[in-house]
Amino acid sequence: MSDVYTLDRIDYPDTPAGYEDHSHQRYYVPAPCQVACPVGTDAPSYIGLIWEEKWERAFEAITATNPFSSICGRVCDAPCEPACRRAQSDGPLAIRNLKRSVMDRLGKTYKPTPVAVTQKETIGIVGAGPAGLTAAHELAVAGYAVEVYEMSDRPGGMMVWGIPGFRCPSHVIKEDMDRLFAKCPGIKLNLNCTLGKDVTMDELKARHDAVLLTIGSWWGKPMGIPGEDDDKVVDGVSFLRRINGGERPQLPPHVVVVGGGDVAMDACRAALRMPGCEKVSIVYRRGPDEIPARKDELEGAHKEGIAFIYNTQQVSIARKDDGLALTCVKTQAGEPDADGRRRPVVVDGSEHDIDCGMVIAAVGQTAASDHLDQLGLMARDRVDTEWDGMRTKDAKVFAAGDGAFGGSTIVMAMSHGQRAAYYVKQFLRGNAEPLPYRTPYRTRRVPLAQDIMWERFPRQEQAFHGVGDKPADFPEIETGYDLETAKAEAARCYRCDAETGSADYSVLHREDIFSMARTNPLDVNKNRRMLEKRLAPRINPYPEERPGSLDDLSILPANLSRLVIDPYREACSVSTDIAGKLDLDRPFMVAGLDDVPDQVWTGLCDGMKRSNAPYVGRRDPGAGVAWLQLVADGGASASAAGVLYAFDALGGKTPERARDGQVLGISVSKAGDVEAAVKRALESKCDALLLDGSGGNGPQTTSELAGPPDLSLLRIAVMTLRGLKEEEHIDLLWFGGARSGTDAAKLIGMGAKAVAYGVPVALAIGGQITDAHTVAYEADRSDEERAVAVDNLFKAHAGEASMMARCTGKTNLMNLEPEDLRAVTVAANKATGIPLVGTRRK
Amino acid sequence: MAQIDLSRISVREGNELIRKYGEAGENVEVLNPDARHHIGVGLTAPITVKVRGSAGYFCAGLTDGARFEIDNNVGWGLGDNIYKGTVVVGGNAGAIAGVAIRGAEIIVKGNMGSRSGQVMKAGTLLCCGNANFMAGYMMYGGRIIILGDSGERVGEDMSAGDIYVAGKVQSLGSDAQLIDLPGEELDDILAFLDKHKIPFNGTFQKVANAGTKLRYGTAEPQMRSLPFFSFSGKSDYWNSKVQEDIHIKSQIGRYRIRGYGGARPLPHMTDLAFRKPIRPDLADAEIAKKVNLYTEIGGIHGAQPLKLSMPVMVAPMSYGALSASTKRAIGLASTLSGIAENTGEGGMSDAQRNAAKQLIFQCLGGRLGWNIHDMKRADGLEIYISQGAKPGLGGQLMAKKVTPQLAKIRGIPSGIDLRSPSRHPDILGADDLVIKVEEFREATGYKLPVSVKLGAGRVRDDIKIATKDGFDFVELDGMQGSTGAGAAEVLEYVGIPTLAAIIEAIEALEEIHARDKIQLVLMGGLRDGIDAVKAMCLGADAVAFGTATIVAGGCIACMQCHIGQCVTGIATQDPEHEKRYKPDIESRNIHRFFESVRWQMAAITNALGYDDVRKLSRDDLVALTPEAAAITGLPYEPEHRDETDAIAIKAS
Repeated sequence: MSDVYTLDRIDYPDTPAGYEDHSHQRYYVPAPCQVACPVGTDAPSYIGLIWEEKWERAFEAITATNPFSSICGRVCDAPCEPACRRAQSDGPLAIRNLKRSVMDRLGKTYKPTPVAVTQKETIGIVGAGPAGLTAAHELAVAGYAVEVYEMSDRPGGMMVWGIPGFRCPSHVIKEDMDRLFAKCPGIKLNLNCTLGKDVTMDELKARHDAVLLTIGSWWGKPMGIPGEDDDKVVDGVSFLRRINGGERPQLPPHVVVVGGGDVAMDACRAALRMPGCEKVSIVYRRGPDEIPARKDELEGAHKEGIAFIYNTQQVSIARKDDGLALTCVKTQAGEPDADGRRRPVVVDGSEHDIDCGMVIAAVGQTAASDHLDQLGLMARDRVDTEWDGMRTKDAKVFAAGDGAFGGSTIVMAMSHGQRAAYYVKQFLRGNAEPLPYRTPYRTRRVPLAQDIMWERFPRQEQAFHGVGDKPADFPEIETGYDLETAKAEAARCYRCDAETGSADYSVLHREDIFSMARTNPLDVNKNRRMLEKRLAPRINPYPEERPGSLDDLSILPANLSRLVIDPYREACSVSTDIAGKLDLDRPFMVAGLDDVPDQVWTGLCDGMKRSNAPYVGRRDPGAGVAWLQLVADGGASASAAGVLYAFDALGGKTPERARDGQVLGISVSKAGDVEAAVKRALESKCDALLLDGSGGNGPQTTSELAGPPDLSLLRIAVMTLRGLKEEEHIDLLWFGGARSGTDAAKLIGMGAKAVAYGVPVALAIGGQITDAHTVAYEADRSDEERAVAVDNLFKAHAGEASMMARCTGKTNLMNLEPEDLRAVTVAANKATGIPLVGTRRK
Repeated sequence: MAQIDLSRISVREGNELIRKYGEAGENVEVLNPDARHHIGVGLTAPITVKVRGSAGYFCAGLTDGARFEIDNNVGWGLGDNIYKGTVVVGGNAGAIAGVAIRGAEIIVKGNMGSRSGQVMKAGTLLCCGNANFMAGYMMYGGRIIILGDSGERVGEDMSAGDIYVAGKVQSLGSDAQLIDLPGEELDDILAFLDKHKIPFNGTFQKVANAGTKLRYGTAEPQMRSLPFFSFSGKSDYWNSKVQEDIHIKSQIGRYRIRGYGGARPLPHMTDLAFRKPIRPDLADAEIAKKVNLYTEIGGIHGAQPLKLSMPVMVAPMSYGALSASTKRAIGLASTLSGIAENTGEGGMSDAQRNAAKQLIFQCLGGRLGWNIHDMKRADGLEIYISQGAKPGLGGQLMAKKVTPQLAKIRGIPSGIDLRSPSRHPDILGADDLVIKVEEFREATGYKLPVSVKLGAGRVRDDIKIATKDGFDFVELDGMQGSTGAGAAEVLEYVGIPTLAAIIEAIEALEEIHARDKIQLVLMGGLRDGIDAVKAMCLGADAVAFGTATIVAGGCIACMQCHIGQCVTGIATQDPEHEKRYKPDIESRNIHRFFESVRWQMAAITNALGYDDVRKLSRDDLVALTPEAAAITGLPYEPEHRDETDAIAIKAS
């Protein structure tokens, strides 16, 4: 297993051949914290959900792979945190604290849905610690009946007996246990049942279809020095077991704890809280940089006043007065060991005594079972187990956890439980060659926390209380976050899981580049894997069914070839006119909003007035707004600035102005009618032709919302006019699918004189698009706000459109021409006739 | 006083002599100048140069500490970019006199042409006659004194600095205003005139920046970008991105700005495949030693080339857009990998120079940080015309990002809103460019490669012009290139894809039989050794990585570079944010990324059957999509997708 802390661990593991991920998230790349979590917790999702205050969903994300989430929220060693990409910056996300904040809210009250037993096979599990119970959970969820045999009087193993209540109160443990057994009624718990005494392996094998040994690493290792059999010398796990069983023994004033691991930290802090104890010292044979205890626990011990005696190794113990003399030598750092840590070397002549009343030895744990030993299932102090299939020498017997692989952490034991459960299931299904197990990585695709302060918050810490007023009562050392603190911490998350806003630098690409940047150049295997992965092409983003659209037209910028056109082109004109009769500050109009509610209409008309944009429609926008009337049954209005007759309703009639000076035009909605409409417009001496590319019957947001516009209307109109050499005589107005100033610039480049917006204006004035392709409004803003929004939208679109013209080297938007455009897809090329980029000529 | 007769020797020889006399501390008299260009360019010794006649373009340009006296008239670009020193012109000066000066005193006894003092940073430009239009155009600092009339649109888009007009102010430029003249400033001016023995009795009107631009009433809401799949590909025409854009624009009344490049998928190298199967398992750790990757760039016209251990460079990215720590990390990584780094727009710091063994110094229209001393310690000079992300537009750096350190290196006052012009004051056409390139070569003794950075647009035409202008190489940047801040619509919709750019470039050069007259460095959305090899197959001489470099060095692609509060300490000038960036760690990460690229390039080249990266050709590629086939003219062979797709499924 690779170390969480190495470069390689940042990579997510290769998917085993044939492995199928049920999430089917083709582009999903798990975040480093999720990969670092032995049980694959979807941490980024629940952090995002905390930001959104979606506690139930956060709770689901946390507990999905972790039956002991409440416990882990307090005491997990949190390998996710050092893996956090923010760790090298201003400190990793406090992922564990965030988990606690969710569990504190919902852990007690949540009522899980029970899972029924559906399988006929049963499994016996020896040991109700984190490995055994997690396996039981997995198997129960899969429908198996499970019987757990536990030698103590309560479930939880080291979670109960190893961790003192000031770090993890018993009600928190109970929360997890209650939830587990409520969810899994198929788990039967046999307490006070010791293997070899109350039940034998033969009985278990007879009773069950498979047996899983999760016997834990229950016994303290001896220090191996003279005098350690004194009754004032105890081992750390036994000491913690007494304390956690409820005892509060009177201790001597000075207690020495030997060792630097998590058990040592718990033992020293527990001892300090006992009556009589005034001082506790840690004796550790290496320096402060090498001490293996988790940083939080170390800091806690420091804050509580534990003395740390580094570079000191125990040699012997002897009675002295009423207490003990622990004889030690000083050490210094020598050559690195195989694990990279520097071996302590004894300093000659440094022998000295440390006087104390008690020594607690916390130098490692060991598993033991005479019964299993007699059956030949033990290898020294562990159950003889192969990692690949979690099998023991007995075909029907599996093993996992500390008892099989040595002392580790709660979350690692849990992952062993999941791993073992997987192989047990495969065994029960008769699969002799199961695929290798891989921790599943799921994502809930939670949107990003969009707090503007996300890059500013420092790491939020929980309030620390230390030993408290009544130490022996074990008050909890820290209180969890309040709502604001939890959100602030959640907002710090980089959200390495979330898809980026860039197709070229999607999560997949970004993580590959990250990974390349963390590849040792001599690591040929990793280089090979990465090359193989990078060689894979993407899915074609332009499949045949994708229509050519404005999106796939690009504007050609001025560079060397256009330098000379206009050297001082910071300004760009955007004004235009329709047939010299209607001046427009910008080539924009509004159309298709006849049906907006009256409450909205007022603000809309104010907005058009402000931005001097004409309205194209049947509805009269009133004074101050130029109205291009779509003539309906009532006939042309003299108050309109112009009148537009629908081509298909025209029949044999001749379009006529209601008064002199009006713009006269025809509107056409079908590509097949455009050529005839152009000719008709020319015959009738019209000024303008409104091309409605929305596919509907006259400008309407509903038809606009149905899909991309049909750009061929514009192309046919331009070609027809060009063919007749009448390009200067009819102004082409466009409606349909214009979303931005850029879209307008492209349409102008292709021949439009002005562009009418429908949906964008509807959205600006507060409209919401419904599933039925309509726009719904609410009374959520004032007329003034709607008017300002329309004006803002047109200002922004004018900025965009003029920017496009400036990029091409032009000072007038109306001078854009097809030559300024290129198609980036074949479909866009076909739809518009604009040449494709590149295109190597013969 | 030594004499140089330009009727007998060339300007190039003359300038070498002037510099030699300068080193010896001897003054020089230039005879028969005959309005030749570049007289005295690159001189950095405190001697006096008397020009007995008229001088052409860029007289006294790119100098520091010397005194020039020109008897008659000068052409345009008088005293271009002078650091310190004095220039006295007896007659008239052409356009852009005092362009981009950084502290000189320039006295023109006659009239000045248009745009005098354009983008000047410091110093005094005095015109005893009338100025033509747009004096002080986009100036950043210093003062212009005009004893005659101002010309039209005086102070157009000036950011800072002062313009004093004794005659008539014909019209004010955009964002300029008339303000009261403080008494002490008048005293200063009179003292200056007195020092240079210019008789004057009168007073002045003062023109200064009005500060009406670049101030927005409503800030654009800061938010993480939507995931790309929600608005690209087969998604709805009125997708969530379109709606978000409309909502925001209707609040702020202007176009949106963000960092990074185009967000949607465009035709890309990844739509090509190698004709032969590539077997990664056959490549070993030593593969890079079996394939010749060594590449020289920039030497084809006799300059000292960049020596690259592989055909890879770092794309130009500025200190300003990026933090000093990030530039340091990138520089160190480029040295470790034996490739070249590029300053981008923001000038050259000692830290950058020391970190990067090979460093290209980029010159932009604003001439920010541009100066003769850094030119001389650069390994290449580059004229920026445009970039793939936002071709045709200038940049903006908000006052928040213009820290005192940054201002010092760019040669501008700190805390001003910095507008970078979209084009060069002295490059209005291809012919000017020839003269500009020559000026750079003159100033640096023809030792350094001179390149041009071009955003891909009308590549077919641009590349031919660049070749004729005598550049050593082009950095050709497709529209997938990124930026620290740009208008979102320009990032998305202006330019042509990198894949198309290289096709058009090569074809254009073949049309004029000039493939060997210029080298091509391709960039814009290239991400790994595979993209690099494909670019080489299509004809590039080298590639450059920009975004991939910063991603390798810790960028999380949140696309909020423009805010200036980068959470990873990359795109920021805020010390609280920058301290999160650890250059020592990230330089190694970036270095390992380049080494991974090297391994990939070697492995693929070897698998294609070559021992030298220069043997790659178009024939090694096929197209996997109809677009890629149509754009490149490569055969459309989608069946090549199948075998590799199996890997894709396995790997994802």
